[in-house]
Formats: sequence, C-alpha cells, structure tokens
Amino acid sequence: MIECDVRICTGCRMCEVVCSSHHFGAVSPALTRIKVAKLEEIGLDLAVVCSSCAQKPCLECPSEALAVGDRGQILLEAELCNACRTCVEACPIGAIGFYDDLPLFCDLCGGEIACVIACPTQALSFREDYREDSLEAFLTNEGSAGQRRAQYCRARGEALRRSWQSGARVDS
Amino acid sequence: MKNHRGNCLRVDLSHHRIVRDVTPERGMGGRTWNSVTLLRELKSGIDPLGPENILCVATGPLTGSKLIATCRFIASAKSPLTGYLGDSGARGFFGPEMRWSGHDQIIFTGASDRWVYLWIDNGHVEIRDASHLIGLDITATTVQLRDELHDPDLQVAAIGPAGENLVKYAIISCNLARAAGRTGMGAVMGSKKLKAIVVRGDKPVKPADPQRFDEACARFQSVIEGHNEFQARRRYGTTRIMNSLAKIGVLPAYHYQSAIFKDLEKVDADALRRNHVVKSKSCYNCNVFCSRYNYTAASEGEGPEYEAQAGFTVKCGNSDLELGVGVSNAVNRLGLDCISTAEVIGWLMECRQEGLISNAEIDGIDLSWGSREALLRIPEMIARREGIGNLLAEGTRHAARHFGPGAVKLTAEVKGLELFSADPRGIKGYALMNAVNSRGGDHYRGEPMIELTGDEDLALRRVGYREAAHRLEDKGKGALVNYAEHLGLLSDSMTICKNISCCMDAMDFEIAAEAYSSLLGEEVASDELWEECSYAGQAERDFNLREGLSPEEDTLPARFIDHPIPDGPSAGTTINIRGLVKDYYREKGWKQID
Repeated sequence: MIECDVRICTGCRMCEVVCSSHHFGAVSPALTRIKVAKLEEIGLDLAVVCSSCAQKPCLECPSEALAVGDRGQILLEAELCNACRTCVEACPIGAIGFYDDLPLFCDLCGGEIACVIACPTQALSFREDYREDSLEAFLTNEGSAGQRRAQYCRARGEALRRSWQSGARVDS
Repeated sequence: MKNHRGNCLRVDLSHHRIVRDVTPERGMGGRTWNSVTLLRELKSGIDPLGPENILCVATGPLTGSKLIATCRFIASAKSPLTGYLGDSGARGFFGPEMRWSGHDQIIFTGASDRWVYLWIDNGHVEIRDASHLIGLDITATTVQLRDELHDPDLQVAAIGPAGENLVKYAIISCNLARAAGRTGMGAVMGSKKLKAIVVRGDKPVKPADPQRFDEACARFQSVIEGHNEFQARRRYGTTRIMNSLAKIGVLPAYHYQSAIFKDLEKVDADALRRNHVVKSKSCYNCNVFCSRYNYTAASEGEGPEYEAQAGFTVKCGNSDLELGVGVSNAVNRLGLDCISTAEVIGWLMECRQEGLISNAEIDGIDLSWGSREALLRIPEMIARREGIGNLLAEGTRHAARHFGPGAVKLTAEVKGLELFSADPRGIKGYALMNAVNSRGGDHYRGEPMIELTGDEDLALRRVGYREAAHRLEDKGKGALVNYAEHLGLLSDSMTICKNISCCMDAMDFEIAAEAYSSLLGEEVASDELWEECSYAGQAERDFNLREGLSPEEDTLPARFIDHPIPDGPSAGTTINIRGLVKDYYREKGWKQID
C-alpha cells in the first residue's frame, strides 16, 4: 500500500501529475489515481490513494468486476464493468477516480511506483508488507468524493494540528 | 513564429453575455496575450475603474503540464494605481485548473450592476449571483464557494474587502495566499462587481511529442536540482533574501533610512522557521516547495514571503516577528498587496518621525516605529476605506500630495507603484529595473539577479558583459535588465514560477523552445521566442506611451538619487540613474532623453 505522511506532504500534486502522465501520457485531475486533499484554511495537505483497507466496500460491485491483487491493489475486469459508479461512491476516502466510463484504481504502476519515486519530500512511501488499513472510522464519511477525501485529510491531520498548537515547529 | 491560438472566453459583464473566441495571433501565452489584447482593444485615456477597462486573465500553452512549476495565471488591465499597463501573476493552483477547463484566456469587459461570480465547469460557463459573498474576506469567500458547490477541489480566484472597496492596490488571490498582487488588478475586478472566478476542469494537457517533452521536463528539473541554492531555497524560500540583503547592506530599515536593522536575528529566515513555520507548502507540481505555513497564537496561514516578512518588520521598524506574520496573514485575507501596504505604513511612520503628519490627521493612531496599533489597524482601515484608510487606499503617490511636499519627498514609488523591500542604490540592476519597466516601481518584471552572483561567466554568456555580475558596477546593466525583462516576459507567458525561472536562472530560451515545440507539435526556435518577447515588450511600452507616459518618468524616487546609503556594508553608495537609463535606452534602440 502507498502511505502519505500528512506531516510532510506540501500539497504540490506532483503525484497526480506523474500518475496521470504514467497511465495516460497526459495531465488532468480526472486521470489520476492519487488525489491530493488540500484544506488550505487549516494548512493540511494529504495525498489520498487506495489504502488496501480491511473493509474494501468497493468490492460490493453489482457486476463482480473487482478482485484483490497480490499486493493488495484492486483489480478491475473492464469487460464486466457497467460504469455504475457503485465502487466510486462506496470508497469512504474518495480514492477511486472515474474516467471514460471506467473506475480508476491505483494499480501500483505494475512495478516501480511513479508517485512514490517522484514525491519531492518523500511523503509517499510504499509498504510491500501492507497491513490492511482500517477505514472503519470513515465509513460514515459523506458527500462527494472530494468531500470524503477532505474529511479523511482533516481526521488524519488532527494530531498534527494539535502538535502545532502545543508549539511543535517544522524542525522540531 | 507560428503562434499557438488558445481558447478565449469573452465575458461582457454589462450585459451578462458570454462569447467564445480565440487568443490573439501574437504572443506566447499569459502576459503577452493579455498585453497584445489590451494594446489593441482598450481605448486610451479611459478610467481604470470604469466599465471601459478590460480585465484579461490568461494561462499559457504549458500551464498545467508536466513541466515543473507551470502554475501561474496572469491578470492584466489598465492599472488604477499607475494609470499605465497593469498586470500581475499568481502561483498556486488556479492557473492549471483554468487550463484544464479548456480556457486559456478570459476577457472581462463592461461592469455588472450587481455582484456576480463567474462559474466555469469545463465547457459550462455561467455568471452567477455573488451577493451572499460580499464583505467576506478571501479565505471565507473561498471556503464558502467550495462548501456550497460541494467540491473542496475547486479553484477560486477572488477579491477580498479591499477589492470590493476599490483599494488601488487590491489583489486577486487564489489558494488563500497566492496573489496577483501588484498594480491593483483586484480593484479592477471589484469595479466590474466580479467577486470571484470559480473553476473546475479536467481536460487533459497532452504533449504532441511525449518523449521529447519528457526530455525537456527532465532537463529543466535537473537544472533546478543542480542549482547551488536548491537546498537553501527548499528550506527558506524567499525569506532567506533578508539575510542576503543585510549582508550586502541594502535592507530598507526604518523606511530606507538605514541599511542596518538592530534586531535582524529576531525577524530573519531562521527566526521565522524556528518560531512560526510548521511545514513547507508548494504550488502546483514543484520540486522546490519553497513556501511555508505559519502558525501563531493569533492567526495562521501560508507565507510570509520575503516582501511581507521584511515589509512588516524591517521597513516599519518592527522587531516583533509574530506581529509581522500576523499582519501578513491579515493582509492576505483582506486582499491587499503586501508590498504597497508595507510601503504605505513605512512611509507614514517616517512622515510622523519628521513631524509632517500629526496623530490627529491619522485618526489618533500611534505611528511610532514598530507600532503595533498602526500595523494592526491601518490595513483594516485601508481595506474598508475607514477614516484615513480612505486616503491611503489611493496609494502613496496620491496620499503624499495631501500631506504636502515634505511627505512627497519621502515616498518610494515609481509611476505610482510602491517599491519593494530593498534599497535600490546598492543593487544597480534592480534600480534600473525599477526605473524603466512597464509596471512602475517593481523588481519582478524579470530579476537581474545575475548581479548578485558574482558569476562573470554567466553574465558574459547571458548578456555579454562580465561586469554585469557585480551589483555596484554600472557597466552592462542596460543589457542585463533587457535580458531579465525578456526572461520575465517568457516566464509570464509560459506562466512558470519566476522564482525558479528568473531568480534561479533555471529557465533559458533553449529549454523553453524545446518545451513549447514538443508540447504543441509546432517547431519554435529559441530566437523566435526572444523576438516574440521583444515584440510584446515593445507593445507594453507603446501602451504606456499611448497613456501619456513621459520618458522622464523612467527614474527613481528623488530620495535615492540625492543621498548615498547612510550606513552598513554599502555606506556611501550613490546611484547614477540617468546614466543607467541611458544605457538601457541604447540597448533598446530608443530615442535618448535630452
């Protein structure tokens, strides 16, 4: 799984740029499988991407087009997909994109992971021995995919903001 | 060169009509498209805050591409502050989103009779009611729009109370703290009753020759990463300029009265990082991430950059960095240009020191150096045009006339635009840039930073004079400023961050030509880009001449010409601005002033 460290993500969105370039040879927020949530009013940034969560609500696919790969990634059988967006709406952290009538899942680039390599602050890392992250607390997230990413970012950054309040600074 | 024609939206705010068009056949994008449009379409002599003014907002062909830091948008119109061509760029994420929406330039004409915002959702464009947003600051406006449109990823370029109230140095701001700050483009937006431009886009930017474009991107990235200041810029961003300027003796302490600030270590880059910086921040697709987020007991926000940091401390004689950071945050929310605002306050404090202004004249506000009351209250009063703020909202040139000739002598502006936080006398290239460029008192048309490097080989390669690498040398400065202006025009057209392209000298015309050619699939040579910059630069000059610019205005404020730097490492330095301007005119092939 790819993890993003909320403490050092600067919100530059280079991960989005290299993700969409790697998969489509073009740059667009619609083409990326990793999306940066930016809560500018409270200074939080977090790259949100499939975390191979324990719950996997996306697998409730009515046409059974989805399966789990050996690195924890979601595999899509494109011919079976009927573009109903059930998976997109099911993801509690808004990590599933949608383009050209197909959902977009992080496929870990099938090897070397472009965003992890490109991240200028090394906020992104890949854990081969992925633990199944629990997103239990976020199953109640509501609204658009962007709003769910924002709620996730807010929650993941709570401890960081508390540390700022108690005096932690960038070098401490 | 065969110019790329982008998509243009013409938004007539008087009649709430939207028409689709293409960008001009000259110019390379961004600022050059806007300048060409304004030279052709704007009648001379019009009121900058009347409905006849035209506000252009543009990105460029490379905006939102994989090329690092292609993040900006440029807003241009006739400036209410100078009466000449106004334009300013903002970094952040608005530019790329606008590009992804499929729009390269938006031309606003007329003025609405009620407050509106422009909503762009890819191909869908609509003028919407903004009455509920009026009075909201930039943060509140942005948050409100993202909430009510259920999309926290929307990009918003908005004005704050300052723009609504037509403060002549009001900004257009995106991402809460990234401002098109100079020359009052926010006031023009306010005069059209346009509160915000809201954009959502997902159209792919796809290079015509992906492999060659990737190579150009990689080459640019390696130049940036190989730069000797790369790590320092990552750590401090522009805030390290304070220590650099202190070392060479060109700090503007107590409004240019001294090059020495006694409490430098309390307000410098390290102090900021130690006490208030909680994390690094970045604009779109940048590997330098030179911005930072500040957190204090009273406020938080992105920034400050050097100009706000130094402007609200050194220039105003304030040793309390936390106060300075708070003012920076407040000014961003109110929608004021930090450079002009700091200059207004610093100048007022010097006027008070000289007995030219009484406390009563400025609503009883304490104007002693570093006054907390002045720093906290004056920006609010300016943005809301309350009390003395109403006069100060007109800029220092206008306000000084009200206080008499003594106050006029203390101003630091060129053509009505207030100067940056550095003493031009000890940096001759910057002095010349401030004197001659199209915006007025401004260092950022292009940065003649080569004069600060001492790198004679670089100076020879770029401008043909080894001497240009030294800040106190006059020789070669005409050529240096001409080169820096061209590079600035190129950057403002590619909408690339000038801290990288100009200040780090990381972009050159060869890399730019490679990127343009491979992205667009049309071969463009580097000398064609240079020629196009020359054309656009001349168009800007012609615009200003048409508005009545007199070459005599290509000079510095009298206070810098008549007196040497009083103290510090550059003590005794004077400036021969006439000689420098003459050299620049020769470089341009312009008729000399008698």
